[in-house]
Amino acid sequence: MGKESKTIWDRLEDIPREVLYGILIITFIMPMLFPIGFPVPISPEVQRWYNFIDNLPAGSAIMIDFGYSGGGEPELGPMAVAVYHHIFRKGGLKAITMSTSIEGTLLWDKAMAEINPAQYGRQYGVDYIHIGYITGTETAMAAVGKSIRATTTTDYHGASLDSFPIMNGIDNAGDFSLLICYTTGGDQSEGWVRQWYTTYQTPYLCAVLAMMVPTMLPYQKAGQIVSLVSGAQAGQMELLVGKPARGIKSADVITMTHILCLVLVVVGNIAYFGKKFSGGKK
Amino acid sequence: MADFATVVQIWFAALFTIWIYSIAFRDNLFFKFAEHTFVGAAAGHSLVYGVDNVLRYGWAPFIAGNYLYIIVFILGLLLYTRYHGDYFWVSRFPLAVIVGIGIGLAMRTTVTAEFIAQIQSTAGTKLLGVDAWTAFSNLVFIIITLSVVYYFIFTFPKMHAGGLGIISTIAKYGMMAAFGYSFANTVLSRYNMIFGRFDFIMSTWLPLPYAMIALPVALILLIYSMIPAEKRPWPKTQK
Repeated sequence: MGKESKTIWDRLEDIPREVLYGILIITFIMPMLFPIGFPVPISPEVQRWYNFIDNLPAGSAIMIDFGYSGGGEPELGPMAVAVYHHIFRKGGLKAITMSTSIEGTLLWDKAMAEINPAQYGRQYGVDYIHIGYITGTETAMAAVGKSIRATTTTDYHGASLDSFPIMNGIDNAGDFSLLICYTTGGDQSEGWVRQWYTTYQTPYLCAVLAMMVPTMLPYQKAGQIVSLVSGAQAGQMELLVGKPARGIKSADVITMTHILCLVLVVVGNIAYFGKKFSGGKK
Repeated sequence: MADFATVVQIWFAALFTIWIYSIAFRDNLFFKFAEHTFVGAAAGHSLVYGVDNVLRYGWAPFIAGNYLYIIVFILGLLLYTRYHGDYFWVSRFPLAVIVGIGIGLAMRTTVTAEFIAQIQSTAGTKLLGVDAWTAFSNLVFIIITLSVVYYFIFTFPKMHAGGLGIISTIAKYGMMAAFGYSFANTVLSRYNMIFGRFDFIMSTWLPLPYAMIALPVALILLIYSMIPAEKRPWPKTQK
């Protein structure tokens, strides 16, 4: 049986994945080598997030959940770093961090190395602290909300919490003015709504992977989350904070790759309809 | 200049990134090595944290005088009976406690957080007293919400027959739009992840000494390993 010759529509429909990935890599690398400088408008959600932290009174304590995994670091890491810059620059705030993700403590160390809190004169144990990875996800949130010291008595290095001035007068959810969660998991982002916002009405800022935004939007609409942002919006936060870094760098690349994605969808559709109208199979 | 340990770390991270992404083109030996190493490292990391958790949240309070923690230890140990052919059923007891606590904690607020609050929010959507665009958006929101709820009433098939079928059709379009939005966001997330790794390679690894030489060597080796075993001169077998 002779091999049937492929039409142009067949070829367009069956572009080898190696070719597609090759084009994708080139589309990634070119704007990194030759930045285009697409504008980065500030969205209302990012502005609301920024304003909320900016309006916190001095002495306010913030509970931060470093709940993302290594895979989500490229997206959520820049956002977490930009927000820490804001907190440290503003000053007078107590940033108490925990992790509901097993990789959270390692990624927190990475973020701190990137931020260098000392440039703002901030000290570990005085202005910020990490109380470690607390297992159990939603159980951990409930336990920490009830009493931090009943849950853990040490920071992530094993030093007693009572030895740190930042922990004076801080023990339960009622002592916090704000909750921030960066996460790659729905258990965390939704768990905090259930265990902290619903139980203690703690204002909640949530940063998730872009793919999780549709799931979390109803919580924002219902007022359970003050501001919901995706890590992909880190560039906007960096602009507001005045610390352009990885988030801004990604803007050109993300725009170009999305244009490529659109082009490929159009090509796929042209091939589909071309084949259909030229008498080929559907 | 970064210290030696950091430099080694960067080299490993960069090479493993390239090896892992190579699966996009074809399966190969380097991908397999990177994949297995990752699984091993992740398992080791989890094990260390597991032991640390037992020490921090179980053993430390126990030796501090909270002797009731013995119950937690016993329940924890009973989980391992699942590996015993005759006594595996005992492991169901600690599992029941874990599930019970989890459900209890979630349920105490689920009704408020995910049922009442969402219904209140939807019911409070305004059509009057807002600008025209917001009113239109809210109208679309209300129509799609109601039609999707209607779509999932399976008990009475006649509700989807005849002229009423239009409601299900609207629901389908609404859901397709939502899936499209979700897909677009997923693409955004994935691209961000790739960007993060590319940025690491270009900004952190390539500026290091010899990295510019290592990159083409690594790529050539990768391409060679992707050639089917029977078509390459050596080695002729691939495990």
